[in-house]
Amino acid sequence: MKRFLAIALGILTAIGGFVDIGDIVANAEAGARFGIAHAWVLLVGVIGICAYAEMAGRVTAVSGRPVFDLVRERLGPRVALANLAGSLLVTVLTLGAEIGGVGLALQLATSVDYLLWVPVVAFVLWAALWRAKFSVLENIFGLTGLVLIVFVIAFFRLPADYSSLWQQASHPGPPTGEDWGTYWFFAVALFASALTPYEVFFFSSGAVEERWSSKDLLTSRINVFVGFPLGGLLAFALMLTSATVFHPLSMSVDTLSQVAMPAAIALGKLGLAAAILGFFAATFGAAMETGLSTGYTVAQYFGWTWGKLRRPRNAARFHTVVMIGILAGVGVLMTTIDPIQLTEYTLVFSAVALPLTYLPILVVANDRGYLGNRVNGRLANTLGVIYLLIVFAAAIAAIPLMLTTRMGGG
Amino acid sequence: MLIGFDLLDRQIIDRDGAPVGKVDDVELTYDDTGTPHVTALLLGQAALGDRIGGLLGRCIAGTARRLSGSLDRPPMRISVDLIDHVDSAVNLTVNRALLQDPPLETWLRDHLIQRIPGATHES
Repeated sequence: MKRFLAIALGILTAIGGFVDIGDIVANAEAGARFGIAHAWVLLVGVIGICAYAEMAGRVTAVSGRPVFDLVRERLGPRVALANLAGSLLVTVLTLGAEIGGVGLALQLATSVDYLLWVPVVAFVLWAALWRAKFSVLENIFGLTGLVLIVFVIAFFRLPADYSSLWQQASHPGPPTGEDWGTYWFFAVALFASALTPYEVFFFSSGAVEERWSSKDLLTSRINVFVGFPLGGLLAFALMLTSATVFHPLSMSVDTLSQVAMPAAIALGKLGLAAAILGFFAATFGAAMETGLSTGYTVAQYFGWTWGKLRRPRNAARFHTVVMIGILAGVGVLMTTIDPIQLTEYTLVFSAVALPLTYLPILVVANDRGYLGNRVNGRLANTLGVIYLLIVFAAAIAAIPLMLTTRMGGG
Repeated sequence: MLIGFDLLDRQIIDRDGAPVGKVDDVELTYDDTGTPHVTALLLGQAALGDRIGGLLGRCIAGTARRLSGSLDRPPMRISVDLIDHVDSAVNLTVNRALLQDPPLETWLRDHLIQRIPGATHES
């Protein structure tokens, strides 16, 4: 059991990236509109985040420095500040969206409007980040989020048309009635969500919170190579069930309740209950990840004391930033903006933050001053450079695609 | 050792590994022959803002000075004698408690965090 719990950090990090509220709906929407023609994007995303999270975990375990320390050391205070601004906007907007997402999951269970749940969720979230142990949080929400496996089971219970699914996956492109612009918009959105900057911030800071050292390199690798593929699998299951149920009917998906439908159709009430529980845990886990990341990035940029391994009074500025982050997220939600759409806007800010986050990781992972003989091998460097180019391309393409397709509206 | 590459913007940690701050700037002193020597590390957002410069830097430094409670307080200074060694961080020979506390941390602790139940609780 202890071995199993040791990978909770990787699982929770991956859930926050792959199946947070925006992605739960985006994956199902892509499945309904395009079938599983975006399956390759998830695969590309999983390999990319594995490559970079492995580097980040290794650097942190060996040198004790989390990712944002490296960003400022290698890029200098000005460029790092631009990264801080971009990634903070991504993180706080996503935090707001996740609080709304928890509200939406509770709305499914209780029929009470999600906006009424928002203050309650925000308070419980803050209290959890204030009092609960880091390991307790990651174990509860990382593992409960795995209940989303219900969508994998649901897929095998549904009468799927395997030949047409294979046709969609092996011939990527828009089906009749959709155009290439929207196809690529969804591809960029799903790819960017796999590599969101707060994932590496959270993963490496979590490694410091758990006091990883060179001895924990294996733990770090298992976290990366089990956690992220598992996150990718959950995202794929959402796309797959939606492609099975909605795509043949040419229906579109835009609410959380529709996403849960395939589980209900295949497994009845219990399937629906498991889906709602999974949505709740995944969005709450993502809210914790983004809430803590807000504090982590600001504190690490300025060199303040941070972390849940200290008493709050010994990390006053860190806890103040986390509080401000939660309040800002609630403030955004109270404008009654759709929480599901909110995470799509973060694409714009990801475009700034992504290259500026991954470049310093790649540079430091080759620095013997930090890593001694544990620097990158040829495989890690090849993947690192290829993904840096893909990230640049996605960053450049994101905004024009968003404008021309009106956020994938077609 | 290169000041820009190996020293500036590094994390400073005390003898027990607790974070103290960043090397936001360095103090240079010229000896008799006119050769500059690093004599101290300067910490704090005011020093950082002055180093960044321009409108943005002035904003950061101005805000930091306002939040510190006194407009002409000099930045926190750590003499190079206190440096044990520099690796992925600047390691000091002393405990953090012997250094001055950053003013914003103290203010937030006393006026906000300390007043919330559970602030001193080990989580």
